[in-house]
Amino acid sequence: MFNTLNLRAAWIAAVATALLVISILVGSRNLTNFDPALVAYLFGCIFACFGIVYRYTVWLQRPPTWRYFARGWKLFFTGRTIAYGWELTKHFVVQFLGQKFIRNRSKARGYGHMLMAWGCLLAFAVTFPLVFGWIHFGLKPGGINTYEIFTFGFKVMEFPLHTVLAEIIFNALNWSAILVIVGVMIMMRRRLTHAGQIAIQTFEGDWLPLLLLLAISLTGLGISLDYKFMEGKAHQFMAITHAITVILFLLWMPFGKFYHIIQRPAQLGIAIYRRAGAEGPQAVCPHTKEEFDSQMHVDDVKAVAAELGFNYARKDGKSHIEYSPRGKRALLAKAHLKARQKAGSLFG
Amino acid sequence: MNTTTFRTDQEFFFDPQRCIGCHACEMACAECETNGQTAMIHVDYVDRFLTTQTSVQVCMHCEDPVCAKVCPADAITKDEFGIVHSANTARCIACSNCVQACPFGVPKKVEPLDLMMKCNMCYDRTSAGKKPMCATVCPSGALFYGTREQITRNRPKSSPVNTFRFGQQLVKTKVNIMMPKGATELIVDSE
Amino acid sequence: MATLPVTAENLIAQFGPSLNFPPVQGYPGRDEPDEVVKTHCCFCGMQCGIKLLVKDNRIVGFEPWEEFPYNEGRLCPKGVQRYLQNNHPDRLLDPIERVEGKGFRPIGWDAAYDRLISEIQRIQGQYGRDAFAMLSGVSLTNEKSYLVGKFARVALKTKNLDYNGRLCMVSAGAGNKKAFGLDRGSNNYSDLAHAEVVMICGTNVSETFPTLTHWIWQARDNGAKLIVVDPRLTPIARTADLHLPIRPGRDSALYGAILHQLIKHDWLDHEFIANHTSGFEEAKKAVESYDLEWAERTTGIPKDKIMQAAQWWGAAKTSFLMHARGIEHHSKGVENVLGCINLVLATGRIGKPYCGYATITGQGNGQGGREHGHKCDQLPGNRDIENPEHRKYISSVWGIEEKEMPGKGLTAYEIMEAIHRGEIKGLLSICFNPLVSLPNNNMIREALEKLEFYACIDFFLNETARHANLILPGSLHEEEDGTVTTAEGRVVRIRKAINPPGNARTDTSILLEIAKRLGAEKHFSFNSSEDIFNELRVASKGGTADYFGITYKKIEDNMGVFWPCPSEDHPGTPRLWEDRKFKTPDGRAHFHGVPYREPAELTDADYPMILTTGRVVSQYLSGTQTRRIGKLVEQYPEPLLEIHPQTAARFGIKDRELVKVVTRRGAAEFPAQLVETIREDTVFIPYHWPGRKSANQLTSGHLDPISKIPEFKVCACRLEPQGRPAPSPAETKAYASA
Repeated sequence: MFNTLNLRAAWIAAVATALLVISILVGSRNLTNFDPALVAYLFGCIFACFGIVYRYTVWLQRPPTWRYFARGWKLFFTGRTIAYGWELTKHFVVQFLGQKFIRNRSKARGYGHMLMAWGCLLAFAVTFPLVFGWIHFGLKPGGINTYEIFTFGFKVMEFPLHTVLAEIIFNALNWSAILVIVGVMIMMRRRLTHAGQIAIQTFEGDWLPLLLLLAISLTGLGISLDYKFMEGKAHQFMAITHAITVILFLLWMPFGKFYHIIQRPAQLGIAIYRRAGAEGPQAVCPHTKEEFDSQMHVDDVKAVAAELGFNYARKDGKSHIEYSPRGKRALLAKAHLKARQKAGSLFG
Repeated sequence: MNTTTFRTDQEFFFDPQRCIGCHACEMACAECETNGQTAMIHVDYVDRFLTTQTSVQVCMHCEDPVCAKVCPADAITKDEFGIVHSANTARCIACSNCVQACPFGVPKKVEPLDLMMKCNMCYDRTSAGKKPMCATVCPSGALFYGTREQITRNRPKSSPVNTFRFGQQLVKTKVNIMMPKGATELIVDSE
Repeated sequence: MATLPVTAENLIAQFGPSLNFPPVQGYPGRDEPDEVVKTHCCFCGMQCGIKLLVKDNRIVGFEPWEEFPYNEGRLCPKGVQRYLQNNHPDRLLDPIERVEGKGFRPIGWDAAYDRLISEIQRIQGQYGRDAFAMLSGVSLTNEKSYLVGKFARVALKTKNLDYNGRLCMVSAGAGNKKAFGLDRGSNNYSDLAHAEVVMICGTNVSETFPTLTHWIWQARDNGAKLIVVDPRLTPIARTADLHLPIRPGRDSALYGAILHQLIKHDWLDHEFIANHTSGFEEAKKAVESYDLEWAERTTGIPKDKIMQAAQWWGAAKTSFLMHARGIEHHSKGVENVLGCINLVLATGRIGKPYCGYATITGQGNGQGGREHGHKCDQLPGNRDIENPEHRKYISSVWGIEEKEMPGKGLTAYEIMEAIHRGEIKGLLSICFNPLVSLPNNNMIREALEKLEFYACIDFFLNETARHANLILPGSLHEEEDGTVTTAEGRVVRIRKAINPPGNARTDTSILLEIAKRLGAEKHFSFNSSEDIFNELRVASKGGTADYFGITYKKIEDNMGVFWPCPSEDHPGTPRLWEDRKFKTPDGRAHFHGVPYREPAELTDADYPMILTTGRVVSQYLSGTQTRRIGKLVEQYPEPLLEIHPQTAARFGIKDRELVKVVTRRGAAEFPAQLVETIREDTVFIPYHWPGRKSANQLTSGHLDPISKIPEFKVCACRLEPQGRPAPSPAETKAYASA
């Protein structure tokens, strides 16, 4: 295992984890605002942080990824920041929050995914700050009807109890659980009925994540329901299973399907890259004589392929990569025709 | 799930000179359940001005798939049967590196889905022991799926070849192209 | 009376053609169909086996039927997409009647029938029985073809019944009858497997019969040489061992020249000629002067290529010759066919394994449909309507007096001419779209406008039906049981998969109801398609096309039975003439003297180019079905004028430039497609499109004197470049051109 350890990534991950720990210490005012009941979650988060940063760094070091990463930031900071910023915002709203591209794949799939995604993001937004002790709640001194919210030890807002707003805030995690459960149901239905999905799905890649999300949401919701309707009789069971599933989720994050949550924002970089490509010179296929991609992209792919040890240099000095996909297919068909011709018959 | 009955004795063979450009494969491919009305196979005129020759291209399922190597998102994987799968929908960021890098011109970026899609040898059918849709309907035998014995018996004047040279690059594939008897590789290069 | 009730554009907006695409995730229920129905594709004479997936009385998809022996799962794009004619938004769901200035409005079935009957009675009362004509089509099953034939003669009592097979293979039928006394491909396609030479004449197999390609490739794998005769380098011609790029309309010259060489080099089967044929001397005399120089001059094919073909054909021990519309759509279509048959007979290669000859029938039931009586001169079993014995036998089967049986009527194009002249006043049509498929369709339109009453049975409002007073919504192929006979002569089962939707009814029930209301109920008491088939079996008994021994069960058990099959214990006849007993009066196969004559219309200074027409792979005939299926339309969205670059340069035509093509009958504009795959003296336009995009505005109505097939494949035209690029196919919307 250690000979495959990526040292640079390990260092970066260690630094990131240390920074997280420091921010927890600072944010929770030396753990004074830390809720001891969440300590297991905290350790889960710290491990996940290391794992995610490690994996992300290893991933970034792959030639194609690094090229896009470097190219993306460079483009962003070379003069056209506003235009690209606008492109990014647009892409973020339409594709990232709106998830239009998934709805285009199928309506049910789009809405199912959107429910899960929004549920998860909402849960993250609540849970992580709470676990890290960055946020805590407290009764406003001198009364029993007003609650205060503190971030990094600073008060940011207060709100009256027994109001709709209070219900919304207190039950944020329950709302997220409901979103996720509905989303998971839609997705599971698809996985049970759609023959195309059934053919290519795997347990660990497709079902386990859904089951995990379902378990987290059900037990999380269970804690609240238990309080409300069962006087806390099942609290221990609910709390422990919830903790276990959440920690599993955190530890699995860097390896499994959920890693795409971390990886996906790279899509935003691609949006800039493509915009820049479209504005620059275009590559023309020597066979079809038509534009087919940006010259920047063709050059980048050529360079990346070379870096990876692929050499498509032809006798005439051109590279096979300079041809469009359609051109490449025609070249193969023509080469085959020639080989057949040489053998004396087109048919054989 | 994944109760696969993939027939390892069956292989894919194709012969572009037998293609009559009818597009039956393309229409049938779109009926395949894994790719929802998007055809993964490519049929094009090579140069209609000069000839009625058409090219037909399925994914060749390279032994060392460059599409997977150039993918910045680790979205393309090869399975134990040598099938190079279409992009993982959760990971693919639609950068189209694979589209440009594939020497056979196979992967296709489907713009509205922000997704690369490619032929997975009809995994829904082949994993259930059936033939791929394109090779089942192909009326001219340009696409054939079956055993090596069948193809050698049926095509006495041809040899299946799975080695290609694109310029300097040697590419070995799971899918075979039918070449004149005795040929061992297909060279795709300038004269 | 009847110009369109409203503009064509209005009708198109309401009734289509509109394009049907499947939903992205497929139709619901495809994964778990209620039923998987083994049936056949509705297009073309190959009749490929296919399995349709049915859910909730809808066709939701297809699966290849790999066990069916002809195609083993193979399909062309039309076959793959055929299921999309179902679930179609354009489908007619109610009887509709014409309302002047408004279009069409739905009426009830009773009212529709009343109207139809009263119009039939009025017209026949006023102008005579034969003033009401009927046109039919050979996409109909054997049962419906038979029923239409009986219906027209017994219920409608008109002699003027003909069918769209008239535009299909009647020249081949007539030629085969003259030479062999029987009209069927002599062999099934398994005889291709070890043929040493395969010659295909005027047939773009790769686009019109794609699944037949497999059988030809198989022959080549086994060493066959492939000779393709075609003015264009079609996909199948591209890799052929020999391509003879013939000048359109000169086919019989080529076959004459080859026969000349066979005789000259004594590549003849003297034993066969002497013992089993007649007329050889006559055939020999006709080609005496057809040497290679003459042949090259006449056909435009280099003489060494003609010689090569003769040599291969002459020296072969086994061979298979096939032809299709390319040599049949001529004012000498029958002569072209006889020229081909002469080559087969001269070498004696027929009635033996891997020695074959066949026309490749074009329409879905082009074979069966032309045997059982909706042809103007024919009675079931391929009997002759003018032969007293035949009349007597069929009259007895039908339970009518022989003298009640009408005589020979006019052929399809002649019926339209008679309407144009005002001799025929009423028309009932089913399964025929003459406004797109007949030549010289400006005349056809005028004729339709002159009809006093026109009723049409169809599932979509096709271009011709727009002129109708009354449309009865009939059934699709998958909505009725029946049989069809493939181009090989194999009788196969069409299985009903679903019921007609809405208030649409089966074609059969509509015809039976009309017959009943015309007072002929006792002759039309069928309870099922099988009932009709059983009567057909009896009616065909003793005829050349003898189906007596074929039953539904036998077809199902054997996945098809080849006729003739005279008794129930007879296995059917996949290969004809093994016994050398030809069905001609003298029992011999007949040679015919085929002296060459020119096509009816020659090029001249005003019309310097040869125009030929044909098909593309993604469309079928007049496109009533295929112009409504989205992906098929997208594959080849509009008719293009194929023209050689040299010729284009001569006329100053650029690629995609709009070119007006003018003939003596009409003019139409098409985008030019510059291709080196066509002869320099010829241009080509595919004909599937309607209205302004119809190639048949240009084609000629010259008919073969025997078969009465129109000369679609050659006429003279002039090219007028319009100096502007053609609009995009998306703008043109040729599939729904007005």
